[in-house]
Amino acid sequence: MPPGYHGCYLRIDVSDGSADHVPLPAGVLRRFLGGAGLGAWLLSRESGACPDPLAAGAPLIFVFSPLVGSPLTTSAKFAVVSRSPLTDRINDSLASSGFALAGKRCGCDAIVVVGRAARLSVLVIDDGRVRLDPGGHLRGATCGAAEKTLRTRLGPDYKIASIGPAGERLVRYATISHDGRHAGRGGSGTVLGSKNLKAVAVRGTRYSTWAHPRELTERSRQLSKRSFGPATAKYRELGTAANLLTFNRFGALPTRNFQTGTFDAAAQVSAEEIRATRTRTRASCAACTIGCEHIYSIEDGEGTRLEYESLFALGPLCGVGDPDAVLRASKLCDELGIDTISVGGTIAFAMECVERGWLDEPWLTFGRGESVLRAIELAGRREGIGHLLAEGSRRAAGAIGHDSIRFAPQVKGLEIPGYEPRALQTMALGFAVGTRGADHNRSGAYEVDFSAAVDRRRVTVDAVRHAIDTEDRAALMDSLILCKFLRGVFDDFYGEAAEMLNLVTGWDTSAAELRRAAKGIVHAKREFNRRVGWTPAEDTLPERFLQGALPNDPAAALSRERLRAVVDEYHRQRGCEEPSPAADNASA
Amino acid sequence: MAVAMQVELLGIPRQRAGVAELEIEAATLGQLLDALAARYPSLADLFRAGRADRLGPFVAANLNGDRFVTDPRTRLAATDRILILSADAGG
Ligand code: SF4
Repeated sequence: MPPGYHGCYLRIDVSDGSADHVPLPAGVLRRFLGGAGLGAWLLSRESGACPDPLAAGAPLIFVFSPLVGSPLTTSAKFAVVSRSPLTDRINDSLASSGFALAGKRCGCDAIVVVGRAARLSVLVIDDGRVRLDPGGHLRGATCGAAEKTLRTRLGPDYKIASIGPAGERLVRYATISHDGRHAGRGGSGTVLGSKNLKAVAVRGTRYSTWAHPRELTERSRQLSKRSFGPATAKYRELGTAANLLTFNRFGALPTRNFQTGTFDAAAQVSAEEIRATRTRTRASCAACTIGCEHIYSIEDGEGTRLEYESLFALGPLCGVGDPDAVLRASKLCDELGIDTISVGGTIAFAMECVERGWLDEPWLTFGRGESVLRAIELAGRREGIGHLLAEGSRRAAGAIGHDSIRFAPQVKGLEIPGYEPRALQTMALGFAVGTRGADHNRSGAYEVDFSAAVDRRRVTVDAVRHAIDTEDRAALMDSLILCKFLRGVFDDFYGEAAEMLNLVTGWDTSAAELRRAAKGIVHAKREFNRRVGWTPAEDTLPERFLQGALPNDPAAALSRERLRAVVDEYHRQRGCEEPSPAADNASA
Repeated sequence: MAVAMQVELLGIPRQRAGVAELEIEAATLGQLLDALAARYPSLADLFRAGRADRLGPFVAANLNGDRFVTDPRTRLAATDRILILSADAGG
């Protein structure tokens, strides 16, 4: 088995507490690496004919990577892979820190959980030995409280990933939280909740080896040094929240459920304003030299992390210009364990339905921070209107009717992140074809829009290869795993990635081989989706984005035909040859 | 010939310079970045030179919110509004 790996995964059936170490073929590791890639392979292998992401037999997979535990900056990450209860398609979400390090030290490259515990439980993995502890006393606990209680009981060398009340109640976009960070998108926490698991606790002593430790240490030192430079300045100095004013300036800031691309009160909720008026501390994931986390004080309590996606989704998307309300809303989502983008998108959608008179919840109106807070609480606990909100915008649209699916802000059921598709049309393509739905983490196509390579408001087939490149690069980063905020430091990403991987594993992989691996990983995800029912018609955007320009930017219009042309070209270049009805059926 | 034009700073350039908008005299994009770096030295590492025909990797420039430009020799007009932002928008 190559250094950097243990060569097996731990398969646990929580119905009866049984556990097996299952060998992982070396060839599979070389092709799929780890993280999202190995997760896609494992998901295909373990899914069988299981029809429902929340069925007992459906697997939930924690995947580490060859770089986890190495001194390479930002490498302490893990992926959580399953079929999404929100989209019914593949879902892979990433989180960081001690859980990745301790989980890999359990002596496996992945942990596959199947089955359903008889009652709410905690899965404890101690150096590869598995047991189920009672979890009833943690029922209803927030993510942070559950983690703290378990750490006190089990000891500080256990690292804990937990769900909040939302995961217990099967809110379809519940997260898995560890150390304040979340495997956030697509409902990983819902799947854990469906297995009657409140948390997974890991500790271990089985360190993997490195093929060339001295050279790896020197390479890591150089990479860390570069990570202090201008390529990561944004993340260190303002964090991703810096995007807000930039996007607003380009008419690309989704506002009021994507009804427009600019927000009058953008300055009030900008990172610059929040930074100027609040105490701020910085934090980072384990083994990270960048430290992109900016934690801001809130009047009545501990501070909260603020990232662009939470800021846009709980602020402008809901028409809210009160920074305190946005910070409190973001903190509430962290406590309940719900994805800020999906809950913000679903609330904004519901607000528009109220505005149109299709939903009788007069308190739920754009611009009111208190309404957003109340709606999050109800969704996270599935109370009242929260039952509807907890289903996500696509299912909510189905229940509300009136053809409201036309403006439900989702692709394949996953709510759209903070990039207005009409103003950023390469990103629009990235959203349409994403394997887990509308996704800015698996497609970096926005980078292309903010460059001279394309006209961001008039996408053509020339943009397709750029979109594919960013998707491939993301697939590799998510499989190695390295943080995407490091991407700017690489002059030759594939070449440097090959060098790092070889120092860990002793392989002789090349940039060209990693390019092929990246494509193979994207292909594996697409194949999984095809197996569970994907058709080309899913690769599209809601009608709203295909009918006319943004109100204050006549140039920002994306026609049905133009989207169809680029999606078809994408399918051709990716080798999915079926002719695509693409934009013909927005609600598909 | 150098002409005065409006420049908008976004993201890290704005944060470091402490201003959102200012007037700069320049004939080309390269001259404009040089003038900005001279006025706000904390911007210099973001503007570190790329090639003669290409901006460095850490900065992006846009004309009037419409078109991104990468060639420092791009000629600028007094009617242009130049947007300067760090290259990694998004993420
Ligand atoms: S840059 Fe941010 S998200 Fe990435 S590893 Fe560091 S702290 Fe974590």
